[in-house]
Amino acid sequence: MAEELKSVITGERLAKEFKEHSVAEFFKKNRQMLGLYGKVRTLTTVVHEYITNSLDACEEAGILPEIEVKIDELGPEYYQVTVKDNGPGLTKETVGKALGKLLAGTKFHRLVQMRGQQGIGASGCTMLSQMTTGKAIKVISGTGKGNTFACEITIDPKRNEPKIENMRDLDRNFRGLMIQARFKGVLYRESVMGPLEYIRRTAIANPHAKITFRSPKGEKVVFNRTSTYIPKPPKAMKPHPAGVTVDDVVTMAHHTKAKKVSSFLKNDFERIGDTALEKIQKLVSFDLNKDPKKLTWVEAEQIVNAFRKIKFLAPSADGLRPIGEERIRKSLESIVQPEYVVTLTRAPKVYAGGYPFQVEIGIAYGGKAGISTNNNSRSQEEEFGVRVEIMRFANRAPLLFDAGNCAITKAVHSIDWKRYGVRDLENTPLTIFVNFISVHVPYTGAGKQAIADEDEVMEELRLALMVCARKTARYISAKRAEIERRMKRDMFYKYIPEIAEALSKITKKDKEKIAKKLEWLVLTKLKLEKREEKSSKELKVEGKDSKKVAKGEEKIAEKSG
Amino acid sequence: MAKKKSSVKKTERKISKALSKSVAKKEKEGPKEIAARIKEVARGIVKDIESGRNPKFKTKQRGRGNVLFDEKLGIIKLGDKDTTRTFLNIAHARKFLQTMLVMSKTYEYLTNNKTASIREVYYELKHTIGNTKENTFEDQRESDACIVDLEHSIDTIREKLNVHANPKGTLYGDITLVDRQHHNDTFNCLKLGRGGWSIMSRIEPHEIEIKKINAKYVLVIETSAMYERLVEEDFARKNKAILVGTGGQAARGTRRLIHRLHFEHKLPVYVFTDGDPYGWYIYSVIKQGSMALAAHSRLLACPEAKYIGMTLEDVEDYGLQNVTEKMKPGDIKRAKELLAYEWFKNKPWQKELKKAIQLKIRIEQQALANKSLEFVAKEYLPKKIKNEEFLP
Repeated sequence: MAEELKSVITGERLAKEFKEHSVAEFFKKNRQMLGLYGKVRTLTTVVHEYITNSLDACEEAGILPEIEVKIDELGPEYYQVTVKDNGPGLTKETVGKALGKLLAGTKFHRLVQMRGQQGIGASGCTMLSQMTTGKAIKVISGTGKGNTFACEITIDPKRNEPKIENMRDLDRNFRGLMIQARFKGVLYRESVMGPLEYIRRTAIANPHAKITFRSPKGEKVVFNRTSTYIPKPPKAMKPHPAGVTVDDVVTMAHHTKAKKVSSFLKNDFERIGDTALEKIQKLVSFDLNKDPKKLTWVEAEQIVNAFRKIKFLAPSADGLRPIGEERIRKSLESIVQPEYVVTLTRAPKVYAGGYPFQVEIGIAYGGKAGISTNNNSRSQEEEFGVRVEIMRFANRAPLLFDAGNCAITKAVHSIDWKRYGVRDLENTPLTIFVNFISVHVPYTGAGKQAIADEDEVMEELRLALMVCARKTARYISAKRAEIERRMKRDMFYKYIPEIAEALSKITKKDKEKIAKKLEWLVLTKLKLEKREEKSSKELKVEGKDSKKVAKGEEKIAEKSG
Repeated sequence: MAKKKSSVKKTERKISKALSKSVAKKEKEGPKEIAARIKEVARGIVKDIESGRNPKFKTKQRGRGNVLFDEKLGIIKLGDKDTTRTFLNIAHARKFLQTMLVMSKTYEYLTNNKTASIREVYYELKHTIGNTKENTFEDQRESDACIVDLEHSIDTIREKLNVHANPKGTLYGDITLVDRQHHNDTFNCLKLGRGGWSIMSRIEPHEIEIKKINAKYVLVIETSAMYERLVEEDFARKNKAILVGTGGQAARGTRRLIHRLHFEHKLPVYVFTDGDPYGWYIYSVIKQGSMALAAHSRLLACPEAKYIGMTLEDVEDYGLQNVTEKMKPGDIKRAKELLAYEWFKNKPWQKELKKAIQLKIRIEQQALANKSLEFVAKEYLPKKIKNEEFLP
């Protein structure tokens, strides 16, 4: 009895404590989960949050984004981040909720392809700033119609509500949002995991954005836009029956506006029509005319089991917004500056039975592609002075961390690159760009930095990579042949003066004339060789590859069919 | 026995006649003719270049596959398989350049009346090519090979290109020579002291003239020790012999001199070597020519040369059993190879070789000292020559 009492008291206390348990505490304890560990990584995450917010806002408003990012070093491990965009801006009413209330985003409960599905959101940055420096973030916002205002925002940690201070109207016309926030315990580095690399990759995957970056050293880097096409905002998707759990069904049923389970299924899921409903009715033990609000767990379980037995059309890929082959090409050409680029946007596929996804690949070879091992600033965190660069993206957002666990990295390394003229992948000037697009990216963990190696995902990634690799191989072998030809030419050329002189000594014929004619002979001969070599090599690569691809495609067909 | 001997003699005379004829033409070629031939080759190459063809240099194939034994002439010959070196071939280009350099250099020697050793040719032509780190020649073997190519291409010997290898071999006897390239020095080789005359590499008539000979035959001796023994015994004077010491395998100059003594002055040539595979092959090279210089046999070989000893019969005749040596496995292997050579395929040699292989013994020239130091000069050689106890 006493024990019981004690436990009740404790329970009450706990409940009370829990209520008062500040959002800040939760935040502190869950920094890891939110991607806020590591001094370098934290700063990159902050930049990520602001940039994705800007890009998403511009996209929804149909504006070509122009984003300026500036990082200033205020002291040891103490930085100020300023991000300014030309987006639609926030109003006095929305600014607090957008920047001063945790988990207030609108993205969490929608099945929409969005960049900012990971991390902490801009409010998280506000929280972090306040926790590490005690300072509010400064905001200037305008809609371009004269209502420009400035304010400072903090979060009341107990209530998780914004605290807006120093609100004042500004007498200037400005459209967009500028946020300035300070952070301690973070570090700026120009490494693969640093903000500059993050911005560079963001610029590559968002060719319609112009991004300017000023580093703490005062260096200015501009990533110009290579496309004026503003991606259409992605559509919200209804869940596909093959991809839902019992819990999903119960939750959805309790929130639906439908009056009957049958109409709930038909309206709230994709690809469920009358024929499917009839089949479901036969497989469940209750009447589908039932009120969905009263749907029990057991009944929902029956529905999910029925879903598994029925063949539905694959989900529509309307919600997917690829970048596009041509735009990736231009972007890579402009920012990576390689000799050769090949890009590919594959048709949408489905993984785990219900989730549509799409893969985009870009392979850039030669020129400034790959990671330069001479440039210390970019290769500092590389373990072995690696030269190949694998750029991973999920819905255009760069994935900088946890590369080893990611399906993209695994797919790249599972390919026999020697087949494609890449003798040593690690030491080849290659930049491999992979954008994984899905309304539901199968992340491996809460950090949301690695894509899980689902069978269909791996297969599709490999196929797409192989198609691009094949094209790259053609370029590499042609280039090698060209180098070989040049080497051969030089080898012949170097002997010519001496041969001409020797012959001229004996025959008394003009040395120069003999030399000129010999040079001409060499060039004629090598042109002939060029054609022979190229055709034979190409045939080889083609033959090997098409077989493999064909096989792979069959496999995919089997699985999805 | 006597009958057989005369028939062998007959065929040999025939051989000699045929060879003499073909030799005569080659012999007469002087520096002018050779230079003209080089020029002809160079012109052909320039013509190729001018008319847009891949320039090529043609020479003879020299592998075993193109070496054959000409029974009519009694010499080892090169077949008529050609090999072509073209400039526009990655594998040939460097060698093509080297050949051109050697061609140009020898042409220069011939027209300027200069001569050089093959090592000098190498050093004269070795230099860095243009702006590269590559040398024209890395090794004397490279330039040597080009010289051989050129010899074969224009069908002559290097001595006629005014190029020569290291000399070896000595000459002793009543023979008067004139060095026409050096103050016309005239000397008798019986009066140069015991060392005799060091045989030069180039023994071409326009350089060394054989002015007078007072001798009945040429005796070619393998080992220096035996050569010295015979000089000390005054063998040349007493027997009217010309002594040629080869000091092992005969150098080109030595072979050329023996060849000239035989063809120009009709002297019989007797070869005296150890009775072992090495000695037999020395004899074979003097008589038929070698495989390496198959193309030049006509100017170097002496198909009528006779083998005087040592033979296994000598061992029995003079009771030398206790001074024979055991043949090593390598010797036996080599002997078996000789057994298979076309030009050893006559009864007496087959018998001799088979016997040696069976008994596994070899006999050295010096073994004759077992009798006495003078024995070889006073009894062994005179008796054998008088009775014509030779192997063919």
